[in-house]
Amino acid sequence: MTPIIHIKDVHKQFGAVQALKGVSLDVNRGEVVVIIGPSGSGKSTLLRCINRLEEFNSGQILVDEIPLDSAENINTVRTEVGMVFQQFNLFPHLSVVDNITLAQKIVRKRSAPEAEKVARELLVKVGIPEKADYFPGQLSGGQQQRVAIARALAMNPKIMLFDEPTSALDPEMIQEVLDVMMNLAKEGMTMVVVSHEIGFAKAAADRVILMDGGLIIEEAPPEELFTHPKEERTKAFLSKVL
Amino acid sequence: MDKVEDKRNKVFGGKYFDRWWIMVLAVVGLILLLIFARPDPYQRIFLFVREGIWTTVYITCVSFVLVLFFGLFVALGRLSKSTIVRGVSTVYVEVIRGIPMLVQLIFWYFAFPSVMQQLGHAFNIQSMIEYRANAVTMAILGLTVGYSAYMSEVYRAGIQSISRGQMEAARSLGMTYFQAMRYVILPQAIRVILPPVGNEFITLLKDSSLVSVVAVADMTRRGREFMAANFIPIQTWIMVALLYLVLTLLAARAVTWLERKMKMEKSS
Ligand SMILES: Nc1ncnc2c1ncn2[C@@H]1O[C@H](COP(=O)(O)OP(=O)(O)OP(=O)(O)O)[C@@H](O)[C@H]1O
Ligand SMILES: [Mg+2]
Repeated sequence: MTPIIHIKDVHKQFGAVQALKGVSLDVNRGEVVVIIGPSGSGKSTLLRCINRLEEFNSGQILVDEIPLDSAENINTVRTEVGMVFQQFNLFPHLSVVDNITLAQKIVRKRSAPEAEKVARELLVKVGIPEKADYFPGQLSGGQQQRVAIARALAMNPKIMLFDEPTSALDPEMIQEVLDVMMNLAKEGMTMVVVSHEIGFAKAAADRVILMDGGLIIEEAPPEELFTHPKEERTKAFLSKVL
Repeated sequence: MDKVEDKRNKVFGGKYFDRWWIMVLAVVGLILLLIFARPDPYQRIFLFVREGIWTTVYITCVSFVLVLFFGLFVALGRLSKSTIVRGVSTVYVEVIRGIPMLVQLIFWYFAFPSVMQQLGHAFNIQSMIEYRANAVTMAILGLTVGYSAYMSEVYRAGIQSISRGQMEAARSLGMTYFQAMRYVILPQAIRVILPPVGNEFITLLKDSSLVSVVAVADMTRRGREFMAANFIPIQTWIMVALLYLVLTLLAARAVTWLERKMKMEKSS
């Protein structure tokens, strides 16, 4: 079976900073990969290369066997890859329901009633159907992040990328977001998650990847990586977060 | 804070009736008073300048609509990833902002047709050799080219005030750059830029008096003609100034009304 994400020897440079120094990674259909690593190690950059929010300098990335080389391909890939950001990035001028229907209507070309039906179903799924007509500014952080997840899911993506989805949340709201993610994982969604929520990684991840200095240092199933790390840098990092 | 202000403004059965309206009424009242109490010369001045009012309003509004459109175009150019597009729009903005509006208007009316005719001769194109400038068209062109440079800066500041994450979220959902601008960035930026855009409109309205030097019979030019024929400068310019004042006050009022409307839309 071909991997749904194929990353080969990707390099990315920001001026003098080498954010990625040759990263290769394959993610299979239905797999949940959690990426951990110290700040500045290139985790966000790698994630953002997968849907081309960031252009890379060399290497290759195929998503569902589509190379990210032309503008059409990039837009095709983006409709298949949902992304959830640390800062939620909901559209503050639109109601919750409009946040979720906007891209459905203009990208997926769904009719307004059809898009709204999808939106309301997804709000039930993320547990806040009663907030449909609120504005993002009226919701708590955890609720906003769940709307952001629903917004991404509305495009029927084959892959979901999460960049530290709970880092901006108050502690008491972290679990409600992790629960939604956990359910997605159970349903078989392919997920690449940058997160330091070790509990989530242990429960949901098929594979945990440690990045440092723009490279993948170690990858292993969670029970193995967290209990018997092989690399020194993994041990050093885990001693700080565990 | 808004609530307090709204209460103060709500007199006469919930209708907005604030200091702007009082000013407008005062100025209109003064004009009427002058016209009826002293028909000679004020009524004569008014009747003579009256034709210019429409020209001033027409030139201002047409230019402004074009400026709104073209300025956005230039702003997007300045924010473009392409070095060439960015370079061209930056040079345009810097050059235009460094040349007085009056000089630009004179260029479009007096120099530009000459340029066209000479190019016509050089390449033997008959329609260009016979090119004649239409004063109103050239005035609108000049104001549009000039003001778009300023307006593009207003747009640019507004667009840049929206966090980068908004564009990224929109793009990550598969929207194109222009869809993201249209549905996500601009609707948010418009709230930020409405006050400065309103200012630009009022400045444009006032600067439109410059077109009087390029053979456009606007309010200012009609005033000059009346003065030249009748030798009563004080009364003439009092009338012209009052007429401009009514227009700028009305424009300011319209801008405040729009801002308030947007605020209410947002809070509802
Ligand atoms: N837009 C950018 N311009 C310049 N440098 C950048 C940019 N984005 C990231 N970098 C740099 O690239 C490196 C990797 O950044 P990245 O955001 O991928 O790290 P990260 O692992 O996600 O860190 P964190 O845990 O802090 O989010 C860092 O040194 C960062 O300073
Ligand atoms: Mg990051």
